[in-house]
Amino acid sequence: MPALVMEGVRKVYRSGSEEVVALDHADLVVGDDEMVTLLGPSGSGKTTLLSIAGGLLTPTEGRVVVGDQVVSDLDPRQLTAFRQRQVGFVFQSVNLVPFLTARENLTVVGELAGRPRRETGEQADRLLEELGLSHRAGNLATELSGGERQRVAIGRALMNDPKLVLVDEPTSALDTKMGEAVMELLRNEITGRGIAAVVVTHDTRMTHYTDRTVEIVDGRLQA
Amino acid sequence: MGSFLLAWREARRAKGRFGLLTGAVTVLVFLVVFQQAVLDGLVTEFVGAIRNQSADVLVYGEDARLNLQGSVVPPVAPEQVAAVEGVARAEPLGVAAVTVEAGGELEDATLFGHVLDGPGAPVEIEEGRRPERDGEAVASASAADDGFGVGDVVVVQPGGERIEIVGTARETSFSVTPTLFASYATYEAVLLSVNPDAPAVVPSAGAVEVEDGADPSAVAERITAEVEGVEAATRDRAADEAPGVQSVSQSLSIVLLLTYVVVTIVTGFFFLILTVQKQPTLTLLRAVGAPARSLVAALGMQVLLVVGGGFVLGAALAALVLRVASVGIEAGVAPAALVTTAAAVLLLAALACLGAARRITRLDPAWATLPGATPR
Ligand SMILES: Nc1ncnc2c1ncn2[C@@H]1O[C@H](COP(=O)(O)OP(=O)(O)OP(=O)(O)O)[C@@H](O)[C@H]1O
Ligand SMILES: [Mg+2]
Repeated sequence: MPALVMEGVRKVYRSGSEEVVALDHADLVVGDDEMVTLLGPSGSGKTTLLSIAGGLLTPTEGRVVVGDQVVSDLDPRQLTAFRQRQVGFVFQSVNLVPFLTARENLTVVGELAGRPRRETGEQADRLLEELGLSHRAGNLATELSGGERQRVAIGRALMNDPKLVLVDEPTSALDTKMGEAVMELLRNEITGRGIAAVVVTHDTRMTHYTDRTVEIVDGRLQA
Repeated sequence: MGSFLLAWREARRAKGRFGLLTGAVTVLVFLVVFQQAVLDGLVTEFVGAIRNQSADVLVYGEDARLNLQGSVVPPVAPEQVAAVEGVARAEPLGVAAVTVEAGGELEDATLFGHVLDGPGAPVEIEEGRRPERDGEAVASASAADDGFGVGDVVVVQPGGERIEIVGTARETSFSVTPTLFASYATYEAVLLSVNPDAPAVVPSAGAVEVEDGADPSAVAERITAEVEGVEAATRDRAADEAPGVQSVSQSLSIVLLLTYVVVTIVTGFFFLILTVQKQPTLTLLRAVGAPARSLVAALGMQVLLVVGGGFVLGAALAALVLRVASVGIEAGVAPAALVTTAAAVLLLAALACLGAARRITRLDPAWATLPGATPR
């Protein structure tokens, strides 16, 4: 079963009388162990596509399926539960809760969802270890470097054992070396776990870390 | 549980701002509790004797406007009142401002004359016993050290009538003077000794005991309607509407109300500003699957933490200050008033934080994808 299926997805933003077609006739299938780069210039609709796949935005038209869940049919409350259980996000800008430590940033959503604390704690420790962050576990988010923050964000995205991880511009705020290290880490964490990923970038140097690259221009996916 | 952890961790790591708000709530609660105790103490000084005497209903002369000292009822009134439905017993009550020599000094006092086993006596005796014969009295306890203690004898001036104090009762001052509760005959004797030319001594008021199960306010209304030349009031109304009390409680109530308003505004704004500042964080949490209700719950816990903590500290401080510093009147923190204040403060704080809660429920998780997690 593919991790993500998008069929004829269209997204129109309305602000006042103006309409912006951010995404048009998007068809995309991501296999269950596949890592895909979504490449496109600024304003091409990359974040919009990612948001729709992850249940943050509802499409104006079309069908979105993640695993066996038809996401485009869910109401806001169900979408919250879907995001909590089925997908992992790494956002473009704000990713961490500043007044929580690295470890607490990993456990916070599980705690709010009522998962047993022992379970989330053990999983967080394991992930921090894998990400080479054990020694920073007790540091507040504000005390971490950009690369460390990005790694914590990746850890947070994996906390709920998602089917699909959605990553928006993970390297844009980092220098090339740090960016490559983060991509490397992402690749290692995701492959072999049966997790699919869509990684958004506009940097062609980062595409070789993934299995396949899909280009997007003006809201349309290129074959 | 998760909400509590989130709330607690944030508060712990922002000790400065949360400490500041807790401090502000502490000061405001201190003011509320302190003012309430002082107000209550003041009112007790004015009408403690009415509040803590046994008559359910007091019957005043028609023109007295609930002023005991300016009231005169016709001598036949108690009998007529006794005939009203719901009245178990009606007796005359005499109230007179007197000057007495007590502890070697001249003091103003108020003498209450009531039928010894009838309504109008202090409800509870703190020390000693009730008067058993004419010439004995129970005095208000707050004046015990000024020559109104058990075993003391006060001498009414002029006239020289002697009254022996055989017991004391708490919170029974009247018009900011000590009181003496004696037999009605003692009251008559004192009045005649002070003013030998007076033609006759008439009762100031009627003291009424209502039948078991009868509603005192209904009985009071019937008395006013059925008996010529009188106005009856329940004990509570008699105390609340006595001259002086209303103006004192009104002016202090306004200050009290303002303090409550300040508590509400301060907590409301604090949490609103905090929520606005935290918007990117809250949006992020919503985006990764935290239900809005757990974030609102975390807000609620912080409100409870800060306001609850501030309340406990403020109330403790007020109790301490009232105990240590003498405010010149009998004033203490009443547990019942404290419970009401706590409920009011928490309720107001909760209402004040509705704005912040609304902001949380209206966050759009999709904002998490935008720069700075803030809508454009
Ligand atoms: N909430 C919105 N309201 C109106 N227009 C929007 C909104 N969000 C996005 N858009 C528009 O939709 C288009 C696609 O935006 P999107 O954020 O998906 O692009 P992007 O490829 O992620 O760009 P970037 O590389 O700069 O992050 C843009 O023209 C953008 O201005
Ligand atoms: Mg984008």
